[in-house]
Amino acid sequence: MADQGTDIAARKPLGLWRHLNKLRWLSLSCVLAMLIIIPYLHLYQTYTASHAYDLLAPSEKRIYDAMEILTAPFVSNPAEDLDAIKGNTWSGTFWGFRVSDPLAALGQSVAGLNVHWPFVATALIPIVVTLFFGRIFCGWICPATLIYELNTNFAAWLRWAGLKPALIPDHWRFDRRIKYAVLAGGLALSALSGASLVAGVYPPAIIGRETYYAVAQGGFGVGSAIFFATLLFDLLITRRGFCRYVCPGGALYSLLGRYRLVRIRRIAESCNDCAKCNVICEFELDPMRDDFGQECTNCTACMAICPTDAMTFMLRAGDYPAQGPGHLGREYRDAEIKQSEAAE
Amino acid sequence: MIRRVRGPAGNHGGPEIMVAVMRRRTFIRVLSSGAVATIVPAETRAVTRASKQRYLRPPGALDEDEFVARCIRCGQCGEACPNRCIKYFGFENGIQSTDTPFITPREKACVLCMKCGDVCPTGAIQKIERKAETIMAEVKMGHAVVDESLCLSFQGKTCGVCYRACPLPDVAIRVGRLEQPHVLEACVGCGLCERSCIQLPQAIKVMPNHG
Repeated sequence: MADQGTDIAARKPLGLWRHLNKLRWLSLSCVLAMLIIIPYLHLYQTYTASHAYDLLAPSEKRIYDAMEILTAPFVSNPAEDLDAIKGNTWSGTFWGFRVSDPLAALGQSVAGLNVHWPFVATALIPIVVTLFFGRIFCGWICPATLIYELNTNFAAWLRWAGLKPALIPDHWRFDRRIKYAVLAGGLALSALSGASLVAGVYPPAIIGRETYYAVAQGGFGVGSAIFFATLLFDLLITRRGFCRYVCPGGALYSLLGRYRLVRIRRIAESCNDCAKCNVICEFELDPMRDDFGQECTNCTACMAICPTDAMTFMLRAGDYPAQGPGHLGREYRDAEIKQSEAAE
Repeated sequence: MIRRVRGPAGNHGGPEIMVAVMRRRTFIRVLSSGAVATIVPAETRAVTRASKQRYLRPPGALDEDEFVARCIRCGQCGEACPNRCIKYFGFENGIQSTDTPFITPREKACVLCMKCGDVCPTGAIQKIERKAETIMAEVKMGHAVVDESLCLSFQGKTCGVCYRACPLPDVAIRVGRLEQPHVLEACVGCGLCERSCIQLPQAIKVMPNHG
């Protein structure tokens, strides 16, 4: 037993890791805030560009002055610095460096039936990151994720209040592979129509556009209706259903991250089979039985909730084979007692 | 598809040349319309192109079909536009055009700042240097056409507003007697003349280069 004790100590996850989930929420909030602030910056820039200061109304002068005072410590060249971050998570510019979603590059290549390398190259960094970290975009960056997770909480509240209609039985599950069919079908339609139609149903692309439309173009566009439909689907039918069953980008990231190196794994020695990880997992994976698969977004919610610190990271191209019941759980203890009784 | 291409003499009596080009999209449309034609009688069939709306693509945009294929609908061209003239389609121009940028020159025309091409990540809007020569060589948004029956100057009321609004005066547009405007071959179709026209409805219009 002493031997096992040192083993547990050696395998204890880093204390920081159970706080990663908070960091993730911060990251998601920042991305969504960015997508809302950037269109306002655009409005501000175009407004000041087209109105002489001395012709501004007093209230507008106050806004202008406040903006100047707020930005002055950080800004040397207003035009350049305000342009430092532009665009959205679908395709954006960060200090002159362009980054695009792999699905944008793929959709465009398929729609045009040729590969436009200057653009495809901008998707390289997300692709490499996905190869190492899996669907980390879905868990940490996607602006829709924050809204979807809040939606999950809302669904839980509805259930608590007894307002959630049971449209499908609780145990009912769709097939996760639907999203690969959606990806393939979307690409086929894009090739046939000669237009990148996948962009129309991909929530991060929709949110990037729609926040801009809402702020600067005078109202939401057609994409918001699609996004609202996905929210309803998640709320009424199945938790995070769109991400798990439909999202074409999620499908692409899943495929890219299939052999990801950085994975979450269960320390069977510290696990007590409480199944809190399985309950909290938004993607309804099975961390308690070592089943993460290619769908895991490394969101670290299971790490944060684990009462015995039995979740940690590992560097391995595949999941651990099932390790059986947790050593602190009843099932394992009973089996051990039975074994020792048999030995006697 | 038979495309109409303006002849060398511009819009002043220049013959419209019919050029037969077959693009993939057209090919598919022909195929599908063939399939539809076998089922639905011709009289009840809807038009092939969803919209007859007159719109311009941003300066430096590729040819329509290629543009639609290249554009990823990120919305950055609009966010870069200091003039805020770039708007986005919903479904009104067909599902392929959804969320692609366009300009309605009568509402707000392009000032040819070329910033949309700078930010476009895909090259659907080409990067074009902001110089008169490069703009004239590479921007092909459309071509302005004067309706002489509406134009005030042609009715004897000296106007010339379109000429003064043009960013390429004497190169893209020239005025003759009584400030009567004549659009020249170098017109890139920015639409500032159409935007500025004081006549209602406007006597000068930009005819877009696409379909």
